Order: sequence, then structure tokens, then C-alpha cells
Amino acid sequence: MRTLGILPLAWLALLQGARAEEVVASVAASLRAPSTEIVRRFEAEHPGAKLLLAFGASNELASQIEAGAPVEVFLAADEESVARLASKGLLLEGSVVPFAGNRLVVVRPDAAELRLAEPRDLVQPALRRLALPGWGVPLGHYAREWLARRGILADLADRIVVTANAPATLAAVELGQADAAIVYATDARVAKRARVAFDIPDAEQPRIRYLGALTHRAGPGARAFLDFVRGPGAAILEAAGFRAAP
Amino acid sequence: MSETPLLAITALTLRVAAVATLLLLPVALLLGFALARRSFRGKALVQALVALPMVLPPVAVGLAILLAVSALDWPIAFTWWGAVAAAVAVCFPLLVRGCEQAFAEVDPRYEQVARSLGLGPARSFLRVSLPLARRGVLYGALLAFTRALGEFGATAIVAGIIPGRTETLALGIWSRVQLGDYRAALALCIASFALALVAMLAAEGWLRRGRA
Repeated sequence: MRTLGILPLAWLALLQGARAEEVVASVAASLRAPSTEIVRRFEAEHPGAKLLLAFGASNELASQIEAGAPVEVFLAADEESVARLASKGLLLEGSVVPFAGNRLVVVRPDAAELRLAEPRDLVQPALRRLALPGWGVPLGHYAREWLARRGILADLADRIVVTANAPATLAAVELGQADAAIVYATDARVAKRARVAFDIPDAEQPRIRYLGALTHRAGPGARAFLDFVRGPGAAILEAAGFRAAP
Repeated sequence: MSETPLLAITALTLRVAAVATLLLLPVALLLGFALARRSFRGKALVQALVALPMVLPPVAVGLAILLAVSALDWPIAFTWWGAVAAAVAVCFPLLVRGCEQAFAEVDPRYEQVARSLGLGPARSFLRVSLPLARRGVLYGALLAFTRALGEFGATAIVAGIIPGRTETLALGIWSRVQLGDYRAALALCIASFALALVAMLAAEGWLRRGRA
């Protein structure tokens, strides 16, 4: 039968399995923009090394690692996700290191006519949808904490559009699916169809601390990558608007 | 690089679907033949069980596979073999039922004649039943293959979404939408569309050739 001709093709495809020294890293979605440059520089300095980055909300990435995903490096946007893995003995002891910080800002679509200049403007009836990730996602947690401290979380509760992670929250505003969102300052910088409505004062900023860690699967490539993120990577993160770890 | 090239994602998707279909084919042929020719107690139950993965939510199928491979200590979770396992489970009913119908359309008298002329059951199957059922079997295989190309729910659970390792087109679209990167998601959608179109055109072509 002529159809059996696809057999060799399929097995040929199978053979291309073997690859270079690959490192799988789970990376907080808010690090997506600078990660491209960090990986490019790292791979240039470490010939033969190849990084595979899986982006997502830190809590979700932690769940995947718990479920047995073959991850060697974890770059999280909060301390909770890392602490959860550490408490279950899934991280290499002593490998947890802070490497960056961030800030929250309130963003709005470019085109909107809403007056949005201070926190109390968020509760006006004309603002119908505020994009935020769920409580479990670091950004969702930080933002709700701030809203609660300002005493406006309850007013906004039924207007929150729940998004999956930090970049998706910005995208909801850029696509006009939400009238406003609380996002990381670093994500707001790369927005194309949204802009910062107002900044949140330093005194009210939550403590946002990015932590890096290695799992028990970590090989030399993974260690070198985490070292690189803390070392030469710091300048790339700074250029992308990240702060030093608080 | 952090962003897997479109071509690599497409190649992986094709590889997973092709391997899953090839692994399924022998099992589906035998089971389909048995279901078409034999009547036995509990046949309705077997048929219902065969159809189950198609009726269940793929996510549930995926979870069942994940738990099963963990219990059996098979190291396929979060590898591309995990994606193959998910595709095998989800496409199993399509191919088995396809083969069953294909064999049911073959007049058993041909087989009886072959047997009376001294052919054993295996030879009669390979030289009479299978060639006569070829078109239906092919169609079932193509249906299973195209279904495997788009498999999402079970695959996401068993294989995870690891760029460059288990990220197929469907998983890639999902992860990009999740990140709010609709442009990149759309590029993968277009690739999926092209792949599906080519597969269906090939199916039509094969069917027409089979008829001639």
C-alpha cells in the first residue's frame, strides 16, 4: 500500500530527538520581555547551552513543578510560590536567591475618556471592568492587597475581570476588555495601546520580591544560568525597569 | 532561544500525531475486525468502553493517563511521549470505530471463500479483509491523525506545556493567549489552519484514489 510511505517520514521525525545541553526554566510571565535578552546573552557566553523557557503565573509554575515537570530553574515573581516548593523539599537547599523587585501602577486604554488620576477614581460607576489576576497569582495578590489597604477592594469586587497572569492583565486593557488594570511598572513600559493612569506612591507599594531557585534536577547549566541572572542579568533587568530586590 | 520557532512547533505536532496514529493502527485493526465479525457477550459494553475517550472531557482522559503513568512509574509525563499517549487515548475511538465500520462493509462471504480455499485466519485477514476495507481504514486513520493534530485537553495535562519539548500547536496557541500575546497566538493559528487544510486535502485525494 502506497500509504505506508508515511512510515519512514514519521520515524525520521522521531530520530531528531537528541539535542544539545538543554535547561528548562519556569519563568514568571512578567519577566518575559527581559528574558529574551538574558537568554540571548547567556547562550552567547555558554556555547552548547540551550534554554527552554516556560512562562506563566508563578503559582501555576510552582504547581507544575510539584506535579513533576522536568524544570531545573524557577524564577518567581513572589516569595510564596518558592516557599511552597521549599516546604515540600522540591528545591535545592540554599539555592534560593532574590534577584529583582518591581512596582505596581494603574493603567488604562489609550483611547478611554475616563478620568483616572487617583485611587478613588477606580470606584466610579463609569469604570465597569478592572482587570486583575486571581488571588493566587502574585500580581493578583499584590494588587488586591493594595486595594484592600485603600479600602476599595469590596467596592470593586464584582467589577474585576480575572486574568491569567501579569502580561494577560495588560493585554486585557490594550484590547479594550477592561477600563483599567493594576499591572507591574515593567509591563506598563512595554504597553502599546495602554498607558499609565497614575503611579502608586512608594509608601503604599507592596514588597515585590523576585526569587530564583534550583530544583533537584538542576545541572551545571542550570546553576550557571541562575548565576547569570543575578550577575550580568541584573543590568538587563534594570534596563527593562526592574528594581533591585527589596 | 526562549521563543520556539514556528517550524519546530509544527514539526513536533506532526510527529506526535503521526506516531500516535501508527501506534494505534495495529490495535485498532484487530479490535475493529473483532467487533465487526464476532458477536460475544458484553460486546455492547466493549463498544461503549471503546467510545468512552471520545465522550469524556479530554481533560479527564488526560488526568486518568497522568495518574496511570505515575502509578506504573512510566517516565513519559511532561515528555513528548506524554503527548503521544494523550493523542493515542483520545483518537483510539475514532480509529477503532472507523476500522469496525470498514470491516463491517466487507461481505464476510469473501473471507469464507478465502478460508475454504485454504487460507489461514491471518492470511485471509491480510490478503482479503484488509485490502477490501482499505478505504474505510485509511479514512479512520486520517480522522484520528487530524484529531491528534489539534489535541489539547488531555495533552496539556499529560505533557505539560514545555516550549521546545512538548509544546504542540494547540498548546502553543493556548500558552500565548494566556500571556496576552495574541499576535504570536494568531501565527500558530494560521499554521494550524494550513496543516489541517493540507491534511484534509490529502484525505480527499487518498479517498478518491482509493475509489478509482
